[in-house]
Amino acid sequence: MSSDTALRADALGKRFGRRGRWALRDCAFNLPTGRVCAVVGPNGAGKSTLLALAAGLTGPTAGALTVLGTTAAQARPRVGYVAQDKPLYPQLTVAETLRMGADLNPGRWDAELAGHIVKELDATARVRTLSGGQRTRVALALALGKRPELLLLDEPMADLDPLARHELMGTLMGQAAMHGTTIVLSSHVIAELEDSCDHLLLVAGGQVRLAGEIDELLGAHLRVSGAASADLAPHTVIESRVTGRQLTALIRPAGPLTDDWRTAAPSLEELVLAHLRDAGAPNPTEERAA
Amino acid sequence: MVEYRIDRHSGVATYVQIVQQTKQALRLGLLRPGDRLPTAREVVEATAINPNTVLKAYRELEREGLVEARRGLGTFVRRALGAAPADSPLRTELEDWARRADAAGLEREDVAALFTAVLDKHFQGDPS
Amino acid sequence: MSALTLTAAPVDRPRQTRWLLRLHRPAIYTWAVLWLALVTLLLALDGPLLNAAADAWRQYESCTTSERCSYDQNAILRYKDYYNYATIALNVLPFVLAAWAGAALTGRELESGTARLAWTQATSPAHWLAVRLAVPALGVTVCTGLLAWLHHRAWTASQGRIESAKEWYDRFTFHAGGPTLAAMALAGLAAGALAGLLLRRTLPALAVGLVAVGVVRWLTELAMPHLWPAVTRLSTVDQGFLGKGMVVDQGMVTASGAHVPPPTCDSVASCAAAFDRFTGRYNTYQPQSHLWGLQLTTTALTLAVAALLVTGCFLVLRRQTGTLRAARP
Repeated sequence: MSSDTALRADALGKRFGRRGRWALRDCAFNLPTGRVCAVVGPNGAGKSTLLALAAGLTGPTAGALTVLGTTAAQARPRVGYVAQDKPLYPQLTVAETLRMGADLNPGRWDAELAGHIVKELDATARVRTLSGGQRTRVALALALGKRPELLLLDEPMADLDPLARHELMGTLMGQAAMHGTTIVLSSHVIAELEDSCDHLLLVAGGQVRLAGEIDELLGAHLRVSGAASADLAPHTVIESRVTGRQLTALIRPAGPLTDDWRTAAPSLEELVLAHLRDAGAPNPTEERAA
Repeated sequence: MVEYRIDRHSGVATYVQIVQQTKQALRLGLLRPGDRLPTAREVVEATAINPNTVLKAYRELEREGLVEARRGLGTFVRRALGAAPADSPLRTELEDWARRADAAGLEREDVAALFTAVLDKHFQGDPS
Repeated sequence: MSALTLTAAPVDRPRQTRWLLRLHRPAIYTWAVLWLALVTLLLALDGPLLNAAADAWRQYESCTTSERCSYDQNAILRYKDYYNYATIALNVLPFVLAAWAGAALTGRELESGTARLAWTQATSPAHWLAVRLAVPALGVTVCTGLLAWLHHRAWTASQGRIESAKEWYDRFTFHAGGPTLAAMALAGLAAGALAGLLLRRTLPALAVGLVAVGVVRWLTELAMPHLWPAVTRLSTVDQGFLGKGMVVDQGMVTASGAHVPPPTCDSVASCAAAFDRFTGRYNTYQPQSHLWGLQLTTTALTLAVAALLVTGCFLVLRRQTGTLRAARP
């Protein structure tokens, strides 16, 4: 089944244990195919849970998550996933690990691509002897080798030095450019993802606080400064701060601003941080639905 | 072939940087009509930026009539920009002038300020 | 659609077995060495060890009380020791399998996250578990089946030749020399796998797997005497209990014909008085002719427990991965 939606969440919730904490609650968002989506949020916000749900590793407690137009379980052969701790069989060699990928993903495996990603590693080295960054490469080779239509990466760059990050991100973007692969990357470092991603999913406290195309989100917000006594109504204030006689704020304008405000476009990082700090900020996805 | 360098701290949107650098290459004659621009894949593998950003920049260049996309073949330069190829007489004069400025003991910043002032006087409202 | 999947299935099936065997190569080698050692030991118990001990017993039998007697006592003791080693080793096998299954087969994979790696290939968690249970189960059935057969052969050969040979109803001999061994080994495998899936940790799963198979063994021991219709023989009080075999129940018969437990008494006088009140004794037992009936029913019971444990494995996996829960688009 084909679909132009890679991920679609409806009132999605996940609770661990019968009376446990909700790791995710009441999440609703839409991720079109072909996007590179950043899932950002503080540690423990529910990013990993969301990716595990999409990978079919665990089932939702409430609501539904549609993956590539079907259930996560049925989408399994078309979805690649790399967990945060990059689990691999330590007793296998690099070459064996990739051969296993070929055997476990019949009909889809791209040996050339997988080999390209680990080209700098000794193919006969056992996985247990590899460094963190090298393991990340092998795990990514395994996930990319199956030619996924949707690639889920949980904190993929954490173990890599800046050069390796750049190179691997380049490989990922090349995949997206060539095959239209939808890529979902989680990270708590926004700067790491800013240039590579065109879609944002901001998760905090188990809820989706902001979701959409990054350009649209940035376009919908303004950084303004003016006199402390000025009134920002009727605009939606995400965050405001008064320093002396000056007020600076991040707002979602409801219309044109008066001339006594100096305005600037916010950066993605400013936008994300403002929304994270402001726990009560209204969610644009909710507004759109209303 | 051009190679794009993305400066993420410049404050200039990434796609604008690609547009500007392409135009720069066109002005300097590094890209000539009929030349192929790098594919989105080539650009993103080298720069790790989002493929859609490259496509957006190429669409912008296409809208300005500078390049055209041919399906399955790539994006090609349609026309050159400006009249100052790398080896033009104007450039030679400018190089002479710069050498003289250097000889007169001007600092880099002095030269840049001087040049910008003249630039602003003669060319208004054309940022790129 | 169905025709398409039917023709495409053999080509597109992920090849898991090969990698299961590769991942557990050290365990397979260890098992092969252990298995060969046991086979050799059991063959020796049916050959040279048995013959030497039987000769010694014949010498011993021919001794008269008046002469100084000479017989090869070492041969007798050696046979007895090795028989016990082999029998105990076979009885321990299900525990070893449970520990291995809990620790290596499921527990470690869940602890280190490699199970998640496997589940995000084109393999569903259920298929992953099915292969992980079916392949070892096949190997275990074949290997323990052969060991049990060899043990039974060795035990049969000792009957009538070795005075001190174990009776058929000796619990260790019983469980080493019949299909219950294979069934218990399979139950061990399932118990270990379930422990690993539940605990998701290597060492706790190892320990709980051991305890679980111990519980299964204990329950079957309790149930076993009752799994085949037993024989009851009555006797007078003075005759003592009649009939030899696996005791199910023994006691006294009262004048009204009721069966009651034997009385407790602590002196000749009180015992005589106590036993005077009864008209006879009864002995309910399983004679040797019931050996195979008991073996088969015990095997069936153990296999049923194993099947429950396997079902538990799949239920736990389903609860953890939620793979069978359909999304509602």
